[in-house]
Amino acid sequence: MAADSDPESEVFEITDFTTASEWERFVSRIEEVLNNWKLIGSTARNPLEKGEFTSGVWEEKSDEISFADYKFSITHHYLKQEYLTDKEIKEESEEDALPEAMQDMLSMSNDFPPRAHCLVRWYGLREFVIIAPAASNDAVISESKCNILLSSISIALGNTGCQVTLFVQIQQKSRRMYVGACEGPGVRTDFEMVHLRKVPNQYNHLSGLLDIFKSKIGCPLTPLPPISVAIRFTYVLQDWQQYSWPQQPPDFDALVGGEVGGLEFGKLPFGACEDPISELHLATTWPHLTEGIIVDNDVYSDLDALQAPQWSVRVRKADNPQCLLGDFLTEFFKLCRRKESTDELLGRSAFEDETKENTDISQALQKLTEPTTVHMPRLSTMSNMVHSARKRMHRHRRVEESPINTEVLNSILIFLFPDATGDVSNAKRSTSRGSNIATFEEESYNLYCQFKSAPSDSLTYKLALCLCMVNFYHGGMRGVAHLWQEFVLEMRYRLENNYLIPGLATGAPDLKCCLLHQKLQMLNCCIERKKARDDGRRQSAENALGDCMERKVSNSKGTPAYPNNKGETSQQKSWDSWSDSEDEFFECLSDTEELQDSDMKEGATKGEERDGGKKDMHKWRPEGRLHQHGNLTLLHTGDPLYIPVTQEPAPMTEDLLEEQSEVLAKLGTSAEGAHLRARMQSACLLSDMESFKAANPGCCLEDFVRWYSPRDYIEEEFTDETGDKVLRGELSARMKIPGNMWVEAWETAKPIPVRRQRRLFDDTREAEKVLHYLVGLKPADLTQHLLPCILHAALLKVKEEESMEDIPSVRKIIQHIIAHASKLLRYSNPDIKKLEEIIGQIIASEAIIARSRSLQAKFGIKKCEKEEEREELERFVSQLLEQPEVPVIGAGRGPTGSIIYKLFVNAQRAATLTPIDDELRKPGSSDEHRASSGTVSEFPPPTGREIILRTSVPRPAPYSKSLPQRMYCVMLKDEFRLTGAFSSDTSFF
Amino acid sequence: MDEDILTTLKILIIGESGVGKSSLLLRFTDDTFDPELAATIGVDFKVKTIAVDGNKAKLAIWDTAGQERFRTLTPSYYRGAQGVILVYDVTRRETFVKLENWLNELETYCTRNDIVKMLVGNKIDKENREVDRNEGLKFARKHSMLFIESSAKTRDGVQCAFEELVEKIIQTPGLWESESQNSRLRLSDSPDANSGGSCGGYCSLL
Repeated sequence: MAADSDPESEVFEITDFTTASEWERFVSRIEEVLNNWKLIGSTARNPLEKGEFTSGVWEEKSDEISFADYKFSITHHYLKQEYLTDKEIKEESEEDALPEAMQDMLSMSNDFPPRAHCLVRWYGLREFVIIAPAASNDAVISESKCNILLSSISIALGNTGCQVTLFVQIQQKSRRMYVGACEGPGVRTDFEMVHLRKVPNQYNHLSGLLDIFKSKIGCPLTPLPPISVAIRFTYVLQDWQQYSWPQQPPDFDALVGGEVGGLEFGKLPFGACEDPISELHLATTWPHLTEGIIVDNDVYSDLDALQAPQWSVRVRKADNPQCLLGDFLTEFFKLCRRKESTDELLGRSAFEDETKENTDISQALQKLTEPTTVHMPRLSTMSNMVHSARKRMHRHRRVEESPINTEVLNSILIFLFPDATGDVSNAKRSTSRGSNIATFEEESYNLYCQFKSAPSDSLTYKLALCLCMVNFYHGGMRGVAHLWQEFVLEMRYRLENNYLIPGLATGAPDLKCCLLHQKLQMLNCCIERKKARDDGRRQSAENALGDCMERKVSNSKGTPAYPNNKGETSQQKSWDSWSDSEDEFFECLSDTEELQDSDMKEGATKGEERDGGKKDMHKWRPEGRLHQHGNLTLLHTGDPLYIPVTQEPAPMTEDLLEEQSEVLAKLGTSAEGAHLRARMQSACLLSDMESFKAANPGCCLEDFVRWYSPRDYIEEEFTDETGDKVLRGELSARMKIPGNMWVEAWETAKPIPVRRQRRLFDDTREAEKVLHYLVGLKPADLTQHLLPCILHAALLKVKEEESMEDIPSVRKIIQHIIAHASKLLRYSNPDIKKLEEIIGQIIASEAIIARSRSLQAKFGIKKCEKEEEREELERFVSQLLEQPEVPVIGAGRGPTGSIIYKLFVNAQRAATLTPIDDELRKPGSSDEHRASSGTVSEFPPPTGREIILRTSVPRPAPYSKSLPQRMYCVMLKDEFRLTGAFSSDTSFF
Repeated sequence: MDEDILTTLKILIIGESGVGKSSLLLRFTDDTFDPELAATIGVDFKVKTIAVDGNKAKLAIWDTAGQERFRTLTPSYYRGAQGVILVYDVTRRETFVKLENWLNELETYCTRNDIVKMLVGNKIDKENREVDRNEGLKFARKHSMLFIESSAKTRDGVQCAFEELVEKIIQTPGLWESESQNSRLRLSDSPDANSGGSCGGYCSLL
């Protein structure tokens, strides 16, 4: 049935349904599929190249067909190859060329492929179609059904002229039994199979198998054309003896100083807990023998593995070896999906201490704001000891519920906050660790930008590692919640007592880092400001105390130190709406000396308010000067122009920034919106103007602009009446627009030095906001925040380990991970699934490195003294990791071969010394004749033997065409399989 | 109407004070010119939707103040920008000389390294030019930027500058694709190299 007649037949079927049986329809369905896949007619491709089955790409296509209501799957397996062009075909093909399958059967270039479909291995085919029951537990068992299927494919092949081999799978699927056929013009090959559980004694050697083959082809010619023989024996090594897996899993219970079971805080574990290499398969091959060259019968064998011309090795890798880093990551990642809050995990009282302390703080703060309060002494060992002791007592109270034991917790806290012990050696240790990874520093820097994590020496990064470890060894998620709670308490403590948080870069939050890191940096900014203010106050209070004595004598005015700021703030409310704060003042250390003269200034301020004039201001004492601005002088008074001390802008974390940009953006693009936006942002401008006015009595807007926006003051040369050139300047046009923001602000601004201005950045409020945010984080949130740090750390770890081994495939994976992860982590809520993929890739690279180490230990690379041999071994090991099968140079006689030989011999000796373990010897029982036959080989008996017999003879009659015949035999411990492909001439017999 | 918008892009305009950043923006968004435009305080913001190669992109353009003092404030807004327009005044050399500082600033505060940069020499309508076109070109080439000269007053080059920038951003898929997670037009992720492949029916001898 040709393809184009199909629609007709369908019409035919509809009109005369009864004439088409289920079987006929099944056959036509097969034909249809073959047509669809364009498997009709002869194809021409280049002959197979050496090893192409391994190096090439195999593909498959599937479809479903049914016989009545019984479903079959039909699958086309093929090696992806270029087809020859028509021209090339004409040049190469002769009349009635044999089908490709028949040519491939005799090809010797792809015997024993390391990894291939069993039919490829058995018959040497590059393309075939299988029809098998669709359901995995279905099987075609009865002989008549098998025959119907076989007939079906024969008819289909005959009808379509398809030259691809068609197989049907019979018996239980696990038995891998196939029968099939291939047809070409005037030729046909039948594919048959024998499958037994035990090897029959008379066929347990080459001579027995040759007998079967010869009788099967039943060649009438004498002498018989030579039969070519290829043999492969495979030996399996499972018992590695002294080369056993070198890595001991860490002892989790031992706690030595800051180390847990040899694992230091801030380090990730690495390596496999079990041997990631389970077996070694040695294949010894005699690729090309002819019948009669060697003897292998029931009393004698020439086949000594050591003498085999080709050796190759495969290793079987443990499927998912338990690896430490992988487990760490997986467990930590699992937290992301948990929903419990810290309170739920630790009981209601989790942050109770904290809330109690909270009220304490506000009182403490009130106390601190009083200038007379005695300031806490500078961070001293003493106070810290007291502090930690107090904290420890806190902990002891809850010790029965604490998931992390006190000792571990303390060592973690000391690791995170090395300054808290006052012990310098601790701080040193953390820096020395930094230099350990110095080689990775640059990459690490790039990595933290790409991953949006945190620098590898930062507190955030260390915290992430500690949490990861606590999660794994010390109480799981409850441990994480516990450590986090302690961490937040420490943050609170540091804020209260003006101790800077260690391990964070100073300055505004680094937007390149993760949000949590930014938050901590923000908190540090707050602590810094608070500390500066408190220090300043304490100092001025001390000074004031001293001064008071003098002043009481010399100056009886005694006005309060602060002006009536309440009134001022209410006036300025509209201007300061952006930084609405309480009556906290921005206080700078630098101008504390001026506090002494506050009474005089006070008078000046009042004076200004009274006459509201600008010209008389030079009478007042200037305040808050930073330094002179070049040689500039004030336009009106001629006094030098001073740059004032100004408030620093508020530090921002990315979420605040986002919030603020949103607010600004929401104002819209209208003129009013723009105006409002400018007004909201003018707090800083106003503050600077006030500082400027305070520093430069008698100044005007032009003076301010000359400092602040010099290009808006335009100077031009004029020639005056006397002919002299005079520089005359004026404000730029845009500054002169009536009612513009700058003029407006200038008019509102009062001469107030920065010290007495309201804070632009309300550190008290911001600090509380940060702490509130931290308290509210659930373990899951925390994990998500810190995941970039953990991935960053894991990747550095893999890189570090890889650099010791030099494995190209791992380097490639690392590159891939970096590219993938940096794309993913750039956005705030990365796809959890994709993160999981990344973790999977990290785990995969860890396993590869572990395998490489295992192999290196097994092959004793470290012990190898000769440079050349060592290089060869290294190459061999790295190939084992990347290729399915690696040839051994020099086979049994080369250096690598002798190492492998020793491995087997040692295992064999160990096995014979302990006869209880007869598992290994069992297959040997059938081979005992070998041991007694004189070829003393210390190899264990082969686990598998494969033999391929090939020839080309006329069949079935002497005058028939000479056609390829092939039989493949495999003998395993509990399997004996013969797969034969016998061709016969269908025209001349 | 938002239906057919491919993506929203954040664009920054930076440069020394008085080079005409706000004027450029006003010309682009409202097609007007105001010689008496007040000096920007902090940052300002405008939105415009443009079509490039049939793709509609919504531009959120952040205009910044050029004064030294504001420079401690404005970089916070650099975050997440996909494109930046760096403006100098061709009639004032010092605004050109300072470009190097602005680039450093970008380097420091930008959260991504693949941001598309465009150099614009503004005020070419003026007579007293101090910076030659070739100098601008050279600078742009050195720092791999786009380059154009413009005049917000006469409209020259303004539209073109924004369009070129957006086109370039659109052509750099990593820059914007994941920004709109739900977009139908999202380019597919690079297929993960699945090395090895599973062994479906494929096996070795043992």
